[in-house]
Amino acid sequence: MTLLKSGPAAIARALLVAGAATLALGGAASAESGKVAVDLTTLTSPFWTSYNKYIIEEAKAQGVELLEPFNSEFDTAKQITGVQNALSLGAKGIIFSPFESAAAGNVLKAAEKAGAKVVAVDVAPDNGPVAIVVRANNLAYGEKACKYIGDHVKEGAVLQIMGDQASINGRDRGNGFRDCITKNYPNLTQLEVPTKAWSGEDAAAGLDAILNSNPDLKAIYMHAGGVFLAPTLQTLKRKGLLKPAGEEGHIVIVSNDGIPQEFDAIRKGEIDATVSQPADLYAKYGIMYLKEAMDGKTFAPGPTDHDSNIVEVRPGVLEDQLAAPLVTKENVDDKSFWANQL
Amino acid sequence: MSTTPTAASSAALGSARSPSSRALAGRIRDLALLPALVVLVIAGALVSPAFLTQANITTILTSSAALALVVLAESLIIITGKFDLSLESTAGFAPAIGALVVLPVASNGFGLELPTIVGILLVLAIGALVGFVNGFLIVRLQLNAFIVTLAMLIILRGMLVGASKGRTLFDLPDAFYALMIVTFLGIPLAVWLAALAFLIAGIVLKYHRLGRALYAIGGNPEAARAAGIRVERITWGVYVLAGVLASIGGLVITGYVGAISANQGNGMIFTVFAAAVIGGISLDGGKGTMFGALTGVLLLGVVQNLLTLAQVPSFWIQAIYGAIILGALMVARLTSGTPQN
Repeated sequence: MTLLKSGPAAIARALLVAGAATLALGGAASAESGKVAVDLTTLTSPFWTSYNKYIIEEAKAQGVELLEPFNSEFDTAKQITGVQNALSLGAKGIIFSPFESAAAGNVLKAAEKAGAKVVAVDVAPDNGPVAIVVRANNLAYGEKACKYIGDHVKEGAVLQIMGDQASINGRDRGNGFRDCITKNYPNLTQLEVPTKAWSGEDAAAGLDAILNSNPDLKAIYMHAGGVFLAPTLQTLKRKGLLKPAGEEGHIVIVSNDGIPQEFDAIRKGEIDATVSQPADLYAKYGIMYLKEAMDGKTFAPGPTDHDSNIVEVRPGVLEDQLAAPLVTKENVDDKSFWANQL
Repeated sequence: MSTTPTAASSAALGSARSPSSRALAGRIRDLALLPALVVLVIAGALVSPAFLTQANITTILTSSAALALVVLAESLIIITGKFDLSLESTAGFAPAIGALVVLPVASNGFGLELPTIVGILLVLAIGALVGFVNGFLIVRLQLNAFIVTLAMLIILRGMLVGASKGRTLFDLPDAFYALMIVTFLGIPLAVWLAALAFLIAGIVLKYHRLGRALYAIGGNPEAARAAGIRVERITWGVYVLAGVLASIGGLVITGYVGAISANQGNGMIFTVFAAAVIGGISLDGGKGTMFGALTGVLLLGVVQNLLTLAQVPSFWIQAIYGAIILGALMVARLTSGTPQN
């Protein structure tokens, strides 16, 4: 049980919280530290389904009682409804992933009114109150991909297969990559294939067309391997352009997500690298921070015990910036990547 | 009241014009989009030298094949005077279940590991079954087609996410990709299949008693019934056929994308209706041709391809996509001179 593990001070705080919970529920008489609600961005991408799995495992491991996670399906309105439902079910802690930094306000207001703590995962809200944000820097994803491609391709056309430009993560990856190429690699020409709602079909149709106008395409950065890996490989295969790394005519491909299928493709030489988004760490530290916040703990900027830094990105918004390592042929079998632990 | 279906439908349409001028108007309606298509093709050739190459034309046809099959299915239903929103979910659900019974547990399947051919046949059977259930609810129980199929869309989407636990199915047997990988004269099987399906549907609708019955039912079911057409049975049959076509469309998407995600087909129905209606299929039922619907599909395919080749700024691409479609409709209205509905 939570109470047994966390020491007397925590028990006192937990009792206070529980007292508040009792008041809020109008007399429900249980002395638990409160349930936790988890919002899922979608249940249909490999990255987010893995995150969902880790959240459930971590909650169990850390002794946190979860409500059934709810799926917001890339829709801010559904997210607000989900959070409000969770609050009326008595949730005292919320882990959520805003779709837009600016659109997170109503969720946070509703939680504050109900006395619940909030941890944001993957995307930072513009304003608090939020206990802490757990995320990896998406601009840095784009930059990492840009550096890898820039170091391996001297000149020619490079293509971004982009995520939804109405989402902050899609925009950050796009801008990070675009600006880095413009600044550091003037010999590379940039092409872009945008997709609506991260659609794999849009990706395939766009790449297919680009390969007609630019048959000598040198490199591809995919914003999300979970949804774009299969259509990209399938399209290249169909056009006879899928050559393993090292062979004449190989297109350098950098992906983003870090799912097992990308690792397999790296081993086969079909793609060159991917940015491993820490699905496991998102879940682990999301749950950990929320539990501590519900026990009354507050956080301060500075280095953490897990190789990352807590930074105050905006007044009142603290962010634990987790590392998102680049996976290549050299380190693809490293057991520390979550894709190798499934 | 005459007993021939064509007469029944014309009575239903209440047309005061003579048969020959009506036929001419129908002809023009068929061809209405052609001028717009020609304008787009010329624009495309100016924008990118790659646009009119053989490879790029193959690209446009390939990327339109799945849409074409589902638009065909939807057009048949709309002509019969009904609706089916659930086709997009059928296009995701049917191939996914077919794959799940074939795949081992390690690849996220059910672990039944049935032979691939059983999986493929199951895809078609599920399409037929969904159409059969829709038909039962709409024709036999006389529920509202819009609401029934909207509910079915949500149910099937949910069942797909539930059955696959949201996971994307990779590593499918090659048969699931065959429609895209196998080519004839350099063009994928899916394109030939879609073309053949349109050809057959076009001929049946124009010349066969059964096809003309669809127009009669869509124009006025009571008049059609009075004319001796078995309205219920035919409508029900159209739903089953549409379900099968949508499931084949789903297999084409699978071959195109190289995997089945739990999102497959999601949001596609808007594009399907757009293509059908742009192509002159009247939402009131009883009007429109297969050739028209096909031009609608090709128009959307050409626009998407063109915008990619032109490297339109990604933030503006959707707005420009919409504007071009609107422009094409206006060109069609001006050149054909017939009102759209």
